[in-house]
Amino acid sequence: MKDREIDDILKQAAQAPHDVDPALLDRIAGSIGSTLRPVRPLPPAWLLAGGLVLICGAVAVAGAARLGFAGVRNLSTWERALIFPALGILIWLAAAAWAGETIPGSRRRVSPASLLGVASVVLLGIFAVLFRDYHTDHFVSRGVACLSAGLLHAVPTAIAGWLLLRRGFAVNSVAAGLAAGILAGLAGVAMLELHCANFQALHVMLWHTAVIPIGGALGALLGWRRDSTSG
Amino acid sequence: MSPDGDLETLMVRYQQGDFAAATALVHRLSPRLHRFFVVQFASRGAADDLLQETWLRIHEVRHTYRAGQPVLPWLYAIARHIRVDHYRKASRTSAREASLEELPEAAAPPRPGFARTPDMAELLAPLSESQREVIEMLKIAGMSLEEVARATSSSVGSVKQKAHRAYERLRERLAGGLS
Repeated sequence: MKDREIDDILKQAAQAPHDVDPALLDRIAGSIGSTLRPVRPLPPAWLLAGGLVLICGAVAVAGAARLGFAGVRNLSTWERALIFPALGILIWLAAAAWAGETIPGSRRRVSPASLLGVASVVLLGIFAVLFRDYHTDHFVSRGVACLSAGLLHAVPTAIAGWLLLRRGFAVNSVAAGLAAGILAGLAGVAMLELHCANFQALHVMLWHTAVIPIGGALGALLGWRRDSTSG
Repeated sequence: MSPDGDLETLMVRYQQGDFAAATALVHRLSPRLHRFFVVQFASRGAADDLLQETWLRIHEVRHTYRAGQPVLPWLYAIARHIRVDHYRKASRTSAREASLEELPEAAAPPRPGFARTPDMAELLAPLSESQREVIEMLKIAGMSLEEVARATSSSVGSVKQKAHRAYERLRERLAGGLS
């Protein structure tokens, strides 16, 4: 059987009348009418994404201003030119993904799950190329300190982002939570790159990059919790 | 004005608080939504409930529609959410028996020659849930690949792949039904 024949069968089935009880439609229209008032549409997705990028930048810079800019001061021009533009692009992608997840029917350029993979791999690749010191002095203690600082800065980013997008409606809470967690994690990583002057390759690759998947996982978990407890 | 352009105008007027536009949307879009729920293995009664719930949610989040954007992906994205939420709640409140009662009816083998007088729910019964919804949106609601991708939060490539697999299964099923 050819595709065209299947098309014809489906078309024939689609043309069969499908009536809905008129009383039901009147009831629906009536209930809508009883609470109908003008509403202000959401701003465009790019504007929301721009707002999220600003929040991310503000949290990262404010955090580094409090803890010190030792990291960015000790990076070479080449290292700065590679790390920060890459972070900027990833932050924009994550912001666009999160904003898109809160507007039903948005065009999805990259899924939050793919973005998590891309962000982690890109940063791991950049760090692997730039940092060649493979010593592991105080690996765990310094690592945990960086991871905690990164995650602590992810929290205000996520909260401020949620406030910005609170009028949106996420049809998939897990995906929205994942996108939010990735963006918040990227804000944490940006703060760490501005602040942390420990350029040992394994430290940066593991403890800095880990903020993103952990942030994403926590966001997805919150989204899943919201779904499973709603109603 | 194209039908989609007309829907966009009605949506904008609905956002502005125009009751006539809201009523027109309810009457124009409800049969599509109702069929969407029926095709997804819901009984007519369940589809009625899902339809009401969907309009309630559409009304709550009508501000999330952006003027100039296609209405159908926005609408179907919300309808999908309601359907998933409905089944999640149903399974949580141990309504498992009820859904099992509905399944055999929808998944019943095709009557001989059913392809000549096809019933949509029966026709799409052998497909997976995601394949059914893609075929429903593409072939019944008349949405484009891009619009289906938007409604299902996936890529155009993924929609094409699901449609292709759905056609393969339908081909097997129809060949069996016709023999």
